[in-house]
Amino acid sequence: MSKTIKQHTDWGVSYGEMVSREFFKNRLNVVSLVFIIFLFAIAVFAPFIANDKPLVIRIDGELTFPLLRNLNAVDYSVFLAAIVGLFQIWLIRRNKKRVNPTRRGEVLSRQIMINAFVLVAGIVFIFVSLDKRLDATNYKRMVESKKATGAVFPLVPFGFERTDLAVREQGPSAEHWLGTDDVGADVLCRLIHGSRISLSVGFVAVGISSVIGVFIGAILGYFGGKVDFIGMRFVEIMMAIPTFFLIITIVAFFPRSLLNIMIIIGVTKWTGDARFIRAEFFRLRGQDFVQAARALGLPLRSLLFRHMLPNGIAPVLVNATFGIAGAIFIEAALSFLGFGVAPPTPSWGQMLSLGVGTTGRFLWWLSLFPGLAIFLTVTAYNLVGEGLRDAIDPRLRKAA
Amino acid sequence: MKRNMESTKKYLVDVKGLKTYFPIKRGLFSRVVGHVKAVDGVSFKIQAGKTLGLVGESGCGKTTVGRTILRLINATDGKVTFDGSDVFGLPSKEMRKLRCDMQLIFQDPYSSLNPRMTVANIVGESLTAHKMATGRQRRKKVAELLERVGLSPHHSSRYPHEFSGGQRQRIGIARALALDPKFIVCDEAVSALDVSIQSQIINLLQDLQDEMSLTYLFIAHDLAVVEHISDYVAVMYLGKIVEYTSSRELYKNPLHPYTRALMSAIPMPDPHRRQQRIVLGGEVPSPSNPPSGCPFHPRCPMAEQRCSVEMQELKQQGDGVEHIVACWKCKEWNT
Repeated sequence: MSKTIKQHTDWGVSYGEMVSREFFKNRLNVVSLVFIIFLFAIAVFAPFIANDKPLVIRIDGELTFPLLRNLNAVDYSVFLAAIVGLFQIWLIRRNKKRVNPTRRGEVLSRQIMINAFVLVAGIVFIFVSLDKRLDATNYKRMVESKKATGAVFPLVPFGFERTDLAVREQGPSAEHWLGTDDVGADVLCRLIHGSRISLSVGFVAVGISSVIGVFIGAILGYFGGKVDFIGMRFVEIMMAIPTFFLIITIVAFFPRSLLNIMIIIGVTKWTGDARFIRAEFFRLRGQDFVQAARALGLPLRSLLFRHMLPNGIAPVLVNATFGIAGAIFIEAALSFLGFGVAPPTPSWGQMLSLGVGTTGRFLWWLSLFPGLAIFLTVTAYNLVGEGLRDAIDPRLRKAA
Repeated sequence: MKRNMESTKKYLVDVKGLKTYFPIKRGLFSRVVGHVKAVDGVSFKIQAGKTLGLVGESGCGKTTVGRTILRLINATDGKVTFDGSDVFGLPSKEMRKLRCDMQLIFQDPYSSLNPRMTVANIVGESLTAHKMATGRQRRKKVAELLERVGLSPHHSSRYPHEFSGGQRQRIGIARALALDPKFIVCDEAVSALDVSIQSQIINLLQDLQDEMSLTYLFIAHDLAVVEHISDYVAVMYLGKIVEYTSSRELYKNPLHPYTRALMSAIPMPDPHRRQQRIVLGGEVPSPSNPPSGCPFHPRCPMAEQRCSVEMQELKQQGDGVEHIVACWKCKEWNT
């Protein structure tokens, strides 16, 4: 491999590289993407940013770390997922420099397989091995009563489950930067923890709907004929149902859990993807390179997923970005109506609904800040989606 | 004696009565209201190691013939025997094996290569799929193929959009050669290229034929190109073969009025030679509703009453070389 450097000049520019180059040319796209990354960082490090447990505290002369001790299995899983995700992104960047374009596909799929396995195994291990602790110690009171010293609290020293009826429904102040809600919980803290709910609903729901949509669309588009006729009638029936009311109906029957909401949004939102992929496959089926693949006697799996899907996935990618924004919006709406996750789990939509206080007073900080969070997140995703669409659309791109 | 020799010659491809109809569907329940008879009873044989040129104007079914033989389009009727096995009767597993022996080169070098794959994958994927070579062996084979078609092995890590039209066509040829086929359908393989590149590609195809003893079905609309490369030529009109003979005989002595019209359209490099240009009137009739009798009669300058009623079978003319024509009047034309 002494010729590595020389070989690099022979490597071609892949389609993905062209699209990403085009995407990063637009400043607005970059800003939106940075905002989304910022949201991710907040979601991942939420317990370190907003927590009523101090990072370090000296109790009876002994140094303890209550925050670290109180991290639960979900927190550890999120950290693991973030580490694996970052590692994967680093690997992709490294592949671009180090792996021949011809072998990138197989290398990437192998890396993803290994990482997914590590992630799943790690999460299972975390949930099995970590027993649930409940630390009800009020460290702040300990500090006040001089029982403990040297406490370092996080930036927002409130827990999202900690209620304090003495300070309920108070506007923004030096202590509670964005005010408190109906049970005296800190709004900023709940906003920070609520980002986890929003982002996970967005990604998992869209993941489910994209997989279903791509699979069904691929089958309808490739086989056509009767399969397509029957399949499309089914898709049309699904589209004719007002999704939001269906979701409300289903949510009313099933327990109010985050996973249920994700699954329900996922299994009702796939029709758009299915139609995109079907249309793309219809177009691709007649293309010469697909006919060539057939003439070479390649297996159907390779035909569908190596030759057709990579050429038809672009609209689904764009749609997925918009879909994440849509799913966040639906979750917020459901929570606003009281069908979302159950309190005390923080959710932006549910916080928004508290804007009209228990006494009928309009609490502007409870409407403005969660509303702003929803608005900015949804806008950022939509901008990224639009940027991606422009980068992919060959009509807008200069001829290569 | 001669006839005896004919029958002992080895035919690699034997097409008998091939028909490919596309249904025309209309209405809510896709009722079939008619058929486009793209290929309507075509028969020919190709000897191993020879080239059959298939000519005709656009829309006459040349491409459909090629793709039906390779079973990329389902035939309505007829039989294709390839190297002793019945192509349409094979179960899909054996068909996959047979596909190694018959390949296709496309007209459009832009749409025939997957834009998301590198050249190495485009050329080499079939080697992996048929378990013929993997890893280093595959890389070596791909490099050999690229060199054979006049590209450099270091091109293998690039994507199709980084090549010119002629280079892309070479990649397409390398892809077709990867499985060491015996038979290649060249579907207008040079029509989309510049004239200078055309001759390069034709020379390449001929060299490959000599080296690897390939058999070609060379589909084209350019008679000059076909004359150069073909041993035999079949002229198609509206889904039917109207004239079939050896290449030399066809250009020396075209008999069907349609062939004559085509011949007169070949530009001659000699400005002093005046030639009678036969200009055909009218349009090519729709293959969904072909004319009665001989499909050429509405445009034929020689047509008479009989032509609109009944079509002459393909019939041997003269007693020299094999020269079969489907025309009542072709003898009169000669005199």
